[in-house]
Amino acid sequence: MKDNYDINNYTYDMDRCIGCKGCVWVDHVYMPGVRYGVKCPSNAYKLFDGYAPMGREKIGKALLEGRIDYTPEYLDVMYMCQLCGACDAGCKRNLDLEPLSVLESLRVKAVKDGKGPMPAHKKVAQNIAEKGNRYGAAEKRSGWITKDTKISDKADMVYFPGCSASYVEKGIAQATGKILNKAGINFMTLGDKDTCCGHPVATSGMLDEAKAIARKNIDILKATGATTLVTSCAECYNTWKVIYPKMLSKNFADMGYQVIHLVEVVSKLVNEGKFTFSKPMNIRAAYHDPCRMARQGEPWVEWEGTRGQWGILTPKKEYRRGTFGVYQQPRDILNKIQGLDLVEMPRMKENAFCCGAGGGVMDAYPDFAMWAATERLTEVQSVAAEAVISACPYCKKVFNEASKANNMNIKAYDITEIILACM
Amino acid sequence: MGIPQEAYKAMEDIVGSQYITDDQVIAQAYVGRLGHGKDTGIDLEMNVPPAVIVLPRTTKEVQGILKIAHRYKINYVPASSFWISHCAPKRPNSIVLDLKRMNDLEIDEENMCAICGPGVIFSQLQEEAIKRGMYTTTPGGGSQVSVVANHINWGLSPLNYRNGVPGRRVLGGEWVLPDGELLRIGSMSTSDDPFWGEGPGPDLRGLLRGWIGWFGAMGVVTKLAVKLLPFHDEGLKPVGISPHTTLQFPEKKRIRWYNFVMPTRESLVECMYDIGKAEIAAALTKVPQQWRYIAKAGCREDFWEGWNTNEARKSINNIHICRVMLVGYASEEQLEYEERVLMDIMDSYGAKLGRTRQSDNSWIKNADSATMWMMTGAYTSVQVTVDTVDCGVKGGEGLAREKPAFTPPLMDDYGEPGWFQVSEIGHMGYIEFLQYWDPNPNQENLYKKDEWNYIKVPTLDAEWGMFNAFNMYASPMNLTGKAYGPECRKWFEKVKAEFDPDKISNDPIPWDVDEYVDKVDWVNKEDYINRDWSKG
Amino acid sequence: MDLKNELQKIVGAGNVLDSPEILEEYSTDNGIYPPGMPTVVVKAGKSEDVAKVINLANKNSTPVIPVSSGVHFQGCTIPYQGGIVLDLSNLNKILEIDPPNRRVRIEPGVTWGQITDELAKENIRVISPLLPHADRSVITDYLEREAPVVPKYEFAEPLMTYEIVWPNGEVFRTGSASVPGYPDSPAKGTNPAGPGLDFYRLPQGAQGTMGVINWANLKLEYLPKINKIFFMPFEDINAAIEPIYKIPRVHIGQEFFLLNHVDLALILAKQWPDDYDRLSDILPSWTLILTISGPPRRPEERIEYEKEALFDLKKQYFQDMPILEALPGVPGGGRELIHMLRKPWPKEEVYWKNRLSGACQSLFFIARPEDAPSFYEKVVDEAPKYGYPLEDLGVYLQPIEQSRVCHLEFNMFYDPDDPIEREKIRIMNRELAQDLLDMGAIFTRPYGDLADMVYEKATSYTTALKRVKKMFDPNNIMNPGRLCF
Repeated sequence: MKDNYDINNYTYDMDRCIGCKGCVWVDHVYMPGVRYGVKCPSNAYKLFDGYAPMGREKIGKALLEGRIDYTPEYLDVMYMCQLCGACDAGCKRNLDLEPLSVLESLRVKAVKDGKGPMPAHKKVAQNIAEKGNRYGAAEKRSGWITKDTKISDKADMVYFPGCSASYVEKGIAQATGKILNKAGINFMTLGDKDTCCGHPVATSGMLDEAKAIARKNIDILKATGATTLVTSCAECYNTWKVIYPKMLSKNFADMGYQVIHLVEVVSKLVNEGKFTFSKPMNIRAAYHDPCRMARQGEPWVEWEGTRGQWGILTPKKEYRRGTFGVYQQPRDILNKIQGLDLVEMPRMKENAFCCGAGGGVMDAYPDFAMWAATERLTEVQSVAAEAVISACPYCKKVFNEASKANNMNIKAYDITEIILACM
Repeated sequence: MGIPQEAYKAMEDIVGSQYITDDQVIAQAYVGRLGHGKDTGIDLEMNVPPAVIVLPRTTKEVQGILKIAHRYKINYVPASSFWISHCAPKRPNSIVLDLKRMNDLEIDEENMCAICGPGVIFSQLQEEAIKRGMYTTTPGGGSQVSVVANHINWGLSPLNYRNGVPGRRVLGGEWVLPDGELLRIGSMSTSDDPFWGEGPGPDLRGLLRGWIGWFGAMGVVTKLAVKLLPFHDEGLKPVGISPHTTLQFPEKKRIRWYNFVMPTRESLVECMYDIGKAEIAAALTKVPQQWRYIAKAGCREDFWEGWNTNEARKSINNIHICRVMLVGYASEEQLEYEERVLMDIMDSYGAKLGRTRQSDNSWIKNADSATMWMMTGAYTSVQVTVDTVDCGVKGGEGLAREKPAFTPPLMDDYGEPGWFQVSEIGHMGYIEFLQYWDPNPNQENLYKKDEWNYIKVPTLDAEWGMFNAFNMYASPMNLTGKAYGPECRKWFEKVKAEFDPDKISNDPIPWDVDEYVDKVDWVNKEDYINRDWSKG
Repeated sequence: MDLKNELQKIVGAGNVLDSPEILEEYSTDNGIYPPGMPTVVVKAGKSEDVAKVINLANKNSTPVIPVSSGVHFQGCTIPYQGGIVLDLSNLNKILEIDPPNRRVRIEPGVTWGQITDELAKENIRVISPLLPHADRSVITDYLEREAPVVPKYEFAEPLMTYEIVWPNGEVFRTGSASVPGYPDSPAKGTNPAGPGLDFYRLPQGAQGTMGVINWANLKLEYLPKINKIFFMPFEDINAAIEPIYKIPRVHIGQEFFLLNHVDLALILAKQWPDDYDRLSDILPSWTLILTISGPPRRPEERIEYEKEALFDLKKQYFQDMPILEALPGVPGGGRELIHMLRKPWPKEEVYWKNRLSGACQSLFFIARPEDAPSFYEKVVDEAPKYGYPLEDLGVYLQPIEQSRVCHLEFNMFYDPDDPIEREKIRIMNRELAQDLLDMGAIFTRPYGDLADMVYEKATSYTTALKRVKKMFDPNNIMNPGRLCF
């Protein structure tokens, strides 16, 4: 069985990078100008090419070929990256190489070689192992549930709130519950067995630990009999839809469950006229596409085969290019809200600039995460918006922190909160 | 550390510790292996990691770095987008000047120019230009290349149709000479305004660029005004999600693409002359067959399924596509007039108008040169000539006859005679002859792709009397530098000796291919060194 | 060494001239600068002679002053350090006319008078500067970067490639003419760039200091058969600026330029001086002139949409600007200008710039059109201080490349036989130039007195230029005393 995280499976991709920096620049068709022309947060923050995906691939190759060894700078290069996948969509516009898999696999190799992850990641992994949540919180995970939230004992849909909405951004989980209630959709939770999806463990390269979490969570879900898992967190969404099958070398289609984000549920109902908004919200806001649901939102498609002359793959590979991510659904919802003036930022959809929190960066490099969030908020300001709306609790949190720290007076919302406020 | 500690410290004092590193992990990111020329001999065998990478912000900082390099005799490599194999360090203990922070961009709308730092790329400039009803020539190098570097080194694409060779589009600016002294050119020689490029007196832009440029072997251009050209004012709307993103043309008839199938290659060439003489159109190019198959393919495997067919093989001699862009600069009426004239011309040749999408994702703002690597993983152009259209076509046909001896390792393109197009409204033609190969090193005779690229094509061009810009840098100076001018190589040597006597500015450019072929066993240098080119 | 004898061996005795009368003839020009006597005049009969003469001169460090035109105005052919005047006027062959590739290859002695008639037979032309002297060398005008009177072409420069004899006597071909075997090669010399360096830029604006051209390729354009001319009168130059920017941007028109009443009257006057007196009175202060012409295919339709576009612009931006098809009070309405502009000034008539007083000093430079009014005001303020009558000040603004810049020219007329007036104009020219330079005027080809002030200001450029000159001309034989050499 092919190991999708074995860096040796990606030497072709590393070697065939031609340095066009499709991984760094906003798609040239959408290029907004000099300002906001770069979509890779790490190369916007650290300007040396070593911090661009194309540079990381060359550095990784040098490591594999023994030209360099692990150093603190090497680990910074590999971990100072949100794994936001902007590079992946950019590269696949022209060349269909796999930069995101390369970056993930180089982390996995670092862990296997005993060099990674970063100390902060180990702490998070420990928290998850010991407490079932990334924060190491001792409280019950179901603390978000309010009395007026109707949760079924048995349903075909499981709501998986994730660590952030369970402990920190509880309002998101609460809003999600109420929205599902209003929509008349029965749902259940995993109850006592609800735990972290393992996203932080997987992205830090701790593959064995992440696989164990995946297997356990999949078993728990199966045991409920539910076939659909709904999330309000882009990271959880991605973990169940992409990382689990990728780690287990399976097509998502063969996983036996569906994963859906709340915005997909609501937008479908909204577009069918079955969900309406009764309250206006007078606000000019920009929508921020969360990386793991937007350009990384396509389901994992397993490929195993050989590469022949001219680099031809047998059998053909079905690429995940970011084309079919969750882009339009949140916009459809927000456009239906009276008074809400939805504006696009220069970097949007598959070219969106990451909020800065993902890929373990918030844990290991909080300054960088804050910088990236602040950079994104300047973009919100550039379109004269007063608020930014996302569909991931980590985005909301880091945006609000950055806004406060920099006195930017921009309010960050999760889309669930907006829906709740207007329904 | 490969350079003296005090030199490093001095540079650190100039740019700040955040913008300089001698870390050898980071240095690996600057070891060649990218851009045009990737996987050719000089790229595979001459690259070394730099000792130091420095990111200057201002002209003054660049001056300071070059003065330090000059004082300590340290080789340096200036690069903006690193999109060519000549701009990777080839000497140990080099400094790389990564110019990406120098991305100031100012648009002079009245006088139609853009004042650019070397870190500005084409799509960024094009965005600003189109907003203001103007355009720049996004070059064949791609949208991701530096506006400054490309203007002084290359600068050709179908958008040259009206404005011609890039040497005409370079205006005033600041050029830090190899020893760190600042030279202000054009109108900046006597003012702070770079809006014009000439003189005073003899025009030193002639030293700055040429056919093609120095690739960093003559200091650093830190600021350059380049021309913008009038366009229509209806704008172009980006649509779609990657990889299917494109610029949608406005509903108003101000810009349109037309694809014609011509009955013969001769009629394709003739119609190009006629269109030029009629002084219509905004771009005029032949579409090579491979590109049609790329456009139809969803992935590399799809391409090969299409290309490995008799239909594809026959298409080279049976299908001749002429792609024309019309722009109503003045009005819709202008476009309608040009359309009538175009149809008159095409009807006279029995051309058939095919279906054409009224959008652009190839030339105007996105020129996805990276796609050239999609078919096989390796690509170069050996451009044949920029002279008349006729000359270009003859050159392409000639090379197509010679190429089978080098196929494989080159990909079999069934005798495709190259991609040709028109510039300066028909006064000039331009052809690129395209090479694709599998870079997998475990192949027999892989060296032949270098023999073809570095020796055979330049020799044939010189023998035939073709004018090839690429050859000046993708062949030994002892070959083309001897044949053209004649002996233009002597002037390179004199200029280098005068302005960079210690050869610290991106050595060994432009003699890197000479140095490379000196070491290989498949070239008989005497063949061309001793040759008398005066008789052609 | 007997220089004369050696030169005679190269070009034959009849082509080496050193009689006092001949030397005096070559010691001066039609301008304000004092004479300088050459040692000898050599008339090259074939291009091979040129390299031999320069080679000889280089070995002996003898100055060489190349002269192609029969007429000069700016003093750049006056030999101030003696030496050989190399007269190229007999190198006057049109070597090739290549209509398919729209190219003509000519020798340096070919004049506007000569080439215009020859090309007209095939309905083609080389775009010229405004009404050049019939005896001016075509190559010299474009080597010296005269502004074409048609600003519509984005590629602008008509000059493509040439063969040059460098000051060390080596013969070199530029651009795509540098291929082995040229001209019997597939490459025809239409690409100016290279080989390697952009050599073709170095002799431009050089006043003969960088070498001597044996031949050059120039672009050919069609000679329109159907034309319309429009006159846009203004009383204030400021009002002309917006139309100057806007009209060529939409790709309409052929010839397009602005003249003040003095220059226009000098051009249009038939009977001298009555017509001039009358016209200079009745003509508007400024007239913007635009021709619209039909190309070979569907010419009427082209004229129609261009005309419509012109009037659309007027409606949108300058509604108050009259667009006239004839100038009131001018015989024929001035429409004859269309035909005049496609030819050099008639040889049999006094050159238009010399009509008023016998000679003209043109002070010109490159500027942004938007700055033209302030330059004009400066000249108007300053000219009376030199006793120069403003009613005799000619002004010509030539948009370049769809008006990204303009050539702005002040014409000051004087009696060449009056030494005091001549000196007065020289001082005025020099001091005005300094004022305008300080204001940002870009003197890309500083002639005579202007060279020192421009090169003094262009510090870094001057230093680099001297290094380049030394590379190409180590003995400084080519036209020494010019520019900064």
